[in-house]
Amino acid sequence: MLNYTLRRLLMVVPTLLILVIFAFYLMRLAPGGPFTSERPLPPAVMANVLERYGMDEPLHVQLWTYVSNIVCCFDFGPSFSQKDRSVNDVIAQGFPVTLTYGFWSAVFVLLLGVPLGIIAALRHNGFWDYTMTGLAIFSQIFPNFVLAPLLVLLFTLSWGLLPGGGWNGGQWQYIVMPAIALGTSYMASVARLTRGSMLEVLGSPYIRTARAKGLPERTIILRHALKPALLPTLTYMGPVFVYMITGSVFVDVFFSTGGIGQDFINGAYSRDYAILLGLAILYAVLTFVLTLMVDLLYAWIDPKVRAGLS
Amino acid sequence: MERRSFFVAALATTFLTMPAFAADVPEGVTLAEEQTFTYRILDEFSSFDPQLIEDTYGSDIARDLFEGLYNQDSDGNIVPGVALNHEASADNLTYTFTLRDDAKWSDGTPVTAGDFVYAWQRAVTPELASPYAWYMELMSIENGAAIIAGEMEPTALGVSAPDDTTLVVNLSQPLPYFNKMVTHATTFPAPKWAIEEHGAQWTRPGNLVSNGAYVLKEHVPKERSVRARNEMYWDNENTVLETVTTLVIGDDAQGLTRWRAGEVDMTDIPAGQYPALANEFPDEAFAVPRLCNYYFNFNLASGPEAFQDVRVRQALAMALDREVIVDRVLQGGQFPAFTFTPAATAGFDVPDVDIAAMTQADRDARAKELLTEAGYGEGGEPLSFTYLYNTNEAHQQVAIVATQMWKQKLGVDVTLENQEWKVFLETRGAQNFDMARGAWCGDYNEASTFLDLLTTESGYNDAKFSNARVDELMADAKSSSDPQPLYTEVEQILAAEMPVIPIYHYSTNLMLSDAIQGWPINNVEQNWYAKDLYRVAE
Repeated sequence: MLNYTLRRLLMVVPTLLILVIFAFYLMRLAPGGPFTSERPLPPAVMANVLERYGMDEPLHVQLWTYVSNIVCCFDFGPSFSQKDRSVNDVIAQGFPVTLTYGFWSAVFVLLLGVPLGIIAALRHNGFWDYTMTGLAIFSQIFPNFVLAPLLVLLFTLSWGLLPGGGWNGGQWQYIVMPAIALGTSYMASVARLTRGSMLEVLGSPYIRTARAKGLPERTIILRHALKPALLPTLTYMGPVFVYMITGSVFVDVFFSTGGIGQDFINGAYSRDYAILLGLAILYAVLTFVLTLMVDLLYAWIDPKVRAGLS
Repeated sequence: MERRSFFVAALATTFLTMPAFAADVPEGVTLAEEQTFTYRILDEFSSFDPQLIEDTYGSDIARDLFEGLYNQDSDGNIVPGVALNHEASADNLTYTFTLRDDAKWSDGTPVTAGDFVYAWQRAVTPELASPYAWYMELMSIENGAAIIAGEMEPTALGVSAPDDTTLVVNLSQPLPYFNKMVTHATTFPAPKWAIEEHGAQWTRPGNLVSNGAYVLKEHVPKERSVRARNEMYWDNENTVLETVTTLVIGDDAQGLTRWRAGEVDMTDIPAGQYPALANEFPDEAFAVPRLCNYYFNFNLASGPEAFQDVRVRQALAMALDREVIVDRVLQGGQFPAFTFTPAATAGFDVPDVDIAAMTQADRDARAKELLTEAGYGEGGEPLSFTYLYNTNEAHQQVAIVATQMWKQKLGVDVTLENQEWKVFLETRGAQNFDMARGAWCGDYNEASTFLDLLTTESGYNDAKFSNARVDELMADAKSSSDPQPLYTEVEQILAAEMPVIPIYHYSTNLMLSDAIQGWPINNVEQNWYAKDLYRVAE
């Protein structure tokens, strides 16, 4: 197991390197650059600006400088568009914001999705099953760019309960709507996944045995059925959490949270190569860590997988 | 040396009677208890550093945090800032500014002429690599261009401080509008000691030392920045607003929603919504002239052969019904344009040009004749070309309407092509287009900021128009005491040659809460100063 983990971690380095090289050249292929502007800079000014950001060097030299600065000093370079700040500053400020409401969104997904799924399974083919399934499908077809304005319309304009956006140091009022908007469609998937696996578990022989023993229904469900039924959901949540963080672009912009998603958009529009590369690396590392965690979780749950690993 | 004083007359009249450079609260008005102003911007601004700022949002904030030689009043006229007045030499090559002696930085240090010398030298230093170094070049300060090119030391810049309250500026060529240019953020003073102590971190809250009416209190990038009253500001007792908050809201519709919810006092109006909002909030929806134009560039360098014929260019210009574009399509209070320079530009009288005097029916008829004479359109060679614009809903609507008009009236086939902003800039800059959208906002409030664009040497002349007479007139305008006749002739040449088709002049569309008073609605550059605003009790 330890061997396996180490091997996986070692794989991160070459993969990241390939990603950086690929992203670095791919970005340069897009027409326009960070200093292309409606009023083209006079050549002398442009020369100074390019020199300041090391962009007067050949591409492979720039790439080498970039990678060595990361390796030696964990320095991801200065942002081109936010002149007072480095990429490290930008990520250090924006990532915790996205992570915070991403976390609460995940909590919302689990707290709502799991009970919905369980209720639907317990009332299989009954009124509640159809209601829950209907609700889940309804939420799943509600993308965040439709849901977010609706939430604002209700909670901000009509009822005046929550601020329409902003972050304000992460007070709870500012987290509610982004978390709901981000999580709703995942919540629906979780509900359906839980329902499916719960039904499967409830139909299995050992539950029948438990019923035959005369155990109370409550114990059967909470102690015997819930745990195995939740495992697929938990493993599903790993990649979903990455999707939620990386897919938060719209929510970040719409609710003006100051999160990292806004930088992705602005970085692309302004050709802020430094920000884009920094974010690509961040997302890659995040994906790596979480998928590794999921794989390890699988191994821990399933003896067959564990045997395969060693 | 013969000298004439710019502010002699002004000091006697304007400044004594009108305290236009501070919040001017009329008697009987009840001020709100909480003197706050919160406004929305679309994106995070580029910087707090006056010499590095390159966007409007950043400049708005800089005008609160810093104070330059001059400010603007609510009509856009210049009024004293750190400088009380100036004198220009007879040849208009030397400007001597007299600075007030009671101006202080937020840490209590006096503001001196040396702070301006430092800042201006800093702006052209190659190591700082400010993209706005070009503004110093535009100001024609002696040796500016050579310093930017690394050929001279920054200390060689034509600006000096003989004493703490005297700033002398030497220009390489006379500029009649030089005094208007020193309201720009690039020319604001900089605190050398704070920059040397904190380096690139000097603009962080706590480090930032500023000399304007406000100091930086908080900054959460991409979310908010808060500025608070600067107790050290020389006119602090006349400042009313205590705090000014900038919120970044990246979505226009969401900005409006939050304005409705009372979370922001000011936001831009989303495209196309002005008429409805003006109806719903007659006292809070504004459409005011803005110093920007919108035009179509003919590619005269490598575009279609037909564009070389002035009759074709005239025909295409005449067939466009600007009233329809402005009143039916855009609906934001824009102004139909037949001249390149907006009518709102200070000191600019809109010259008579033939095309403006005609009715649209006459223009349509004339357009047909001209095109036929040139051998295109009905009965002639078919005319077709591609129109390029940057991806945006409003630009697309204008493009569709224009091509429909050309199609119906002249039988001209136009293919539309849109590109993402930076791709578009590259394509247009490389003259890879037939006809392309153009727009320009004035750097200062004077006609040359527009007309210089169509001179042969201009780097922004995407049409690649070249006319010796225009070049000559614009060169003469630089040293003329009354450039208006020269500008009139340039506009008439442009109307006759039609290298670009002026479509409309912009308006600023904004929602501004009626609790906020003192907004410079009539300032066409929309340069506002929070120190001039106040909040009235609801």
